[in-house]
Amino acid sequence: MDQSKFENLAKEFMEDLKKVSSLDDLESLRVKYLGKKGILAGLFGEFAQISPEIKKDFGRKLNQLKNNIESKLSELHSEFFAGTEIGVSQFEKTLPGKKPQIGHLHPIITQAIREIVEIFKPLGFTQVRHPEVDWDYFAFESLNMPKTHPARDEWETFFVKAPENKEYGKLVVSPHTSSGQVREMLKNQLPIRMLNISRCGRRQIDVNHIPFFFQFEGLAIDKNLSIANLRGVLDYFAQKFFGPGRKTRLRPFHFRFTEPSFEVDVSCGLCQGAGCRFCKEGWVEIGGAGMVHPNVLKAGKVDPKIYNGFAFGWGVERTYMMKAGLKIDDMRYLGENNLKFLSQF
Amino acid sequence: MNIFIPQSWLKDYIETDVSPVELAKKMSAHAFNVERTNEIKGDIVWEAEITTNRSDALSIMGIARELKSLLPKKDYKFKYKESKAQKTSGKDKLEVEIRDKNLVPRFSAIVLDEVQIKESPEWMRDRLEKVGTRPLNNVIDITNYLMFDLGQPMHAFDYDKIKSGKMILRDSRAGEKVITLDGMERELPQGMIVIEDGEGRLIDLCGIMGAKNSEIDENTKKVLLFVQVYDPMKIRRASMTLGHRTEAATRFEKGIDFEGVLPALWKAVEMSQELAGGKISSDLIDIVNIKPRSKEVEIDYEKINLLAGVEIEKSRADEILESLGFEIKGKKAKVPSWRLNDIDIPEDLAEEVIRIYGYHNLPSKLLAGEIPRLQPEKIFYWEGIAKNFLKHNGFFECYNYSASSCNAGENQLELLNPLTEKIACLRVSLIPQLTEVLDKNKGYAEKIKVFELAAVYLPRQNDIPDQPSRLGIAVKGVEYLELKGIIEAMLYNEMNIAQGAVDFEISKGENGYLTAELDFEKISQLANNDKIYIPISQFNSIKEDLTLVVPENVEYPQIKKAILAVDPRIKSLDFKDIYKNALTLSIEYLDRQKQISSDDTQKIRQNIFANLEKDLGVRLKK
Ligand SMILES: [Zn+2]
Repeated sequence: MDQSKFENLAKEFMEDLKKVSSLDDLESLRVKYLGKKGILAGLFGEFAQISPEIKKDFGRKLNQLKNNIESKLSELHSEFFAGTEIGVSQFEKTLPGKKPQIGHLHPIITQAIREIVEIFKPLGFTQVRHPEVDWDYFAFESLNMPKTHPARDEWETFFVKAPENKEYGKLVVSPHTSSGQVREMLKNQLPIRMLNISRCGRRQIDVNHIPFFFQFEGLAIDKNLSIANLRGVLDYFAQKFFGPGRKTRLRPFHFRFTEPSFEVDVSCGLCQGAGCRFCKEGWVEIGGAGMVHPNVLKAGKVDPKIYNGFAFGWGVERTYMMKAGLKIDDMRYLGENNLKFLSQF
Repeated sequence: MNIFIPQSWLKDYIETDVSPVELAKKMSAHAFNVERTNEIKGDIVWEAEITTNRSDALSIMGIARELKSLLPKKDYKFKYKESKAQKTSGKDKLEVEIRDKNLVPRFSAIVLDEVQIKESPEWMRDRLEKVGTRPLNNVIDITNYLMFDLGQPMHAFDYDKIKSGKMILRDSRAGEKVITLDGMERELPQGMIVIEDGEGRLIDLCGIMGAKNSEIDENTKKVLLFVQVYDPMKIRRASMTLGHRTEAATRFEKGIDFEGVLPALWKAVEMSQELAGGKISSDLIDIVNIKPRSKEVEIDYEKINLLAGVEIEKSRADEILESLGFEIKGKKAKVPSWRLNDIDIPEDLAEEVIRIYGYHNLPSKLLAGEIPRLQPEKIFYWEGIAKNFLKHNGFFECYNYSASSCNAGENQLELLNPLTEKIACLRVSLIPQLTEVLDKNKGYAEKIKVFELAAVYLPRQNDIPDQPSRLGIAVKGVEYLELKGIIEAMLYNEMNIAQGAVDFEISKGENGYLTAELDFEKISQLANNDKIYIPISQFNSIKEDLTLVVPENVEYPQIKKAILAVDPRIKSLDFKDIYKNALTLSIEYLDRQKQISSDDTQKIRQNIFANLEKDLGVRLKK
């Protein structure tokens, strides 16, 4: 079969195509060329019998023709549908689509918690939750703060009206996630890499504080942990959470339940550490950390001669706002559930 | 607590070429955070946060002493010289009676005569102003000045106003009254430390504020200088109870350097002689009631290295400790008098060594070691699934406070010290606050859907409250069946829970609100990703809709049961719509043995109608 036969066949098809005026016509045209007993099927039948030297060329041309016919048919097919058949006019195409009504997850709390959990997962930290209303023992006493210790005043603690427990003392709204430290140790599963994200409560309400808020707290207990490991974990977090190039630094501080204790700063994202009016000399404070105090390990029935550990923790809301560069002028918005606020994110 | 540190004042104690900027950086990195640097009258004044364990650094001298450890010796000279004891004698006596030795571990005082009360010299007024204190007169200013200078609070009485030259130091009795220096009459509870004079008048509210009746005024001739160490807990309770937090009280309650008492008193004497022309007119009174025991703590060099994650040589560790005033005695360090409240265990010493070595000099290493066995709890995963599902169905997620008003359910636990009435009781249900959210956002849209996933607090006998996770839902402008459908789709489709395994109830409230509260603990236990494979039939099913007229008192499960019981070839039956009493169902027939025909389905259908009509009086809608 020669070249001209393919060309003629292509021409013939184009002529036929022009005559199509309905979907039915289109279907008969398809059957004529591409059907089981159609013209192309016949040609494919011939293909088996031709001599090997022209087989390759013949095959290529035949396939070309077939592809050409298929694409022309499908083009025309869509034209039918784009037209009057289901009534999409040119104007409608310019309209926006009808969106399903999508709601909003809490822009700061849920979003932040998800990100934090994902960041710590590869380091082997598992998310847990501990009681939000707990005994004084777990909130303070087991954390190396005996009953009358003044350090307790730093937490504006809510007390709950309930009979005192002989062993564990008063019932309090847990003022920090550190209340989960000894509870986690008492599970008696060492080593520990815990990420406790819980609601906490403190008697404070103003532009910068809401009485109920979220904290997250990492706790690692193992043999031979060092401040260098704490730095490693904090740097990893800072880079994943705030972005590449962000660093952390530890400053000396004092907490009763860690020794040594630190405040954690992260390098300022606005001035890249050069110093600006949003930071202190290029650093922004994010939270506290330290090496777990031997008395806390003892309270958790962990032998401080064999094990040690570190802990770090801070507020979820504030950290996330800092990351997003959100300037929310009043923290109280976060607890108000104003839909105009929530739908912005 | 924050203190102010003027550089000009600091220079009394240190000599260094290091610039104030560099010095502040070192302070922040190794000791105390310099939060702000202010310029006052051409002087650089730091504002630094002194951590609660470091009362020894609540003074200019204390800061200088700390800086000693931060700078190489060649750059730095620490110039503190203790004031020396002077010869004392004179006719003025003070009879002291201490009712309880625990109240005042150390009591020291001395009388000066021929004192001239006048304005302090400019340099002193200037320094006091820079640290935020108003100058009054030379003698009072000296006492204030030395508190900032040496960290030792002190008081000055007009000696002639102490009747019979007698002091009785005791616990206050409930209801006693005293007019303090600020002119306020204060009624005291039992148990504050006070001083009574020979005529039974209260002349001092110890550690908090002096009394008006014994104050220094322009006619004062004899001054009793007074430096004490009080029981810190008593001072703390008193200042908290009175709601009066003074610089002096803060220092007293954090602990005073016992060995600093006399040097401070002698410096006060020196300054009074110089600035007020006073002359010693009594013996030195120095009563030591409870002497703190000296302390030696083990230096665990191995632990220091372990904690640091890097090797710090023994000699370097010793050098650091010595620069901080510790005395190395073999493997132990003797704690300096000004750090007795703070240093107890080897870890405390490790902190000292490593912070001076520099946290920034430590490497940053990720964790090695065994991965913990603890598996993540299922509930977190399913919370995520539920939240996403609800979001995609148009819900807003809310976070309400854990406490609400006290009329939001039965058995709410009360807060003893609530902030406001609106947050006074712990919540036992998520619904009241969610409906409040609907109220508050009334104008936002016709149709509003909100939810919250959080714990409630259910009281238990002699235990912490049960704190189960709940899913609270509240909607407005949404039809009952629509809400029910969303919840069911979440439970039975999205979370793959067996149909009907979760009980929930939708309540109708005011303004057409619908609410539901689900036990999320149970939901997360039932939810699963189990896959069940049912072979796909090679035969086709036939589907059709049936519309039935439902009489009163018939319930849907009865109808469903009656239909499904008719024939095993009824593959599924779904509710489609309801209009008045016309119920439309969609029904699917499938025969797994052969292709089902319309003749077959017609027979099944007839049986359905027969059954429905006989048992329930339900008919086909014509
Ligand atoms: Zn900056």
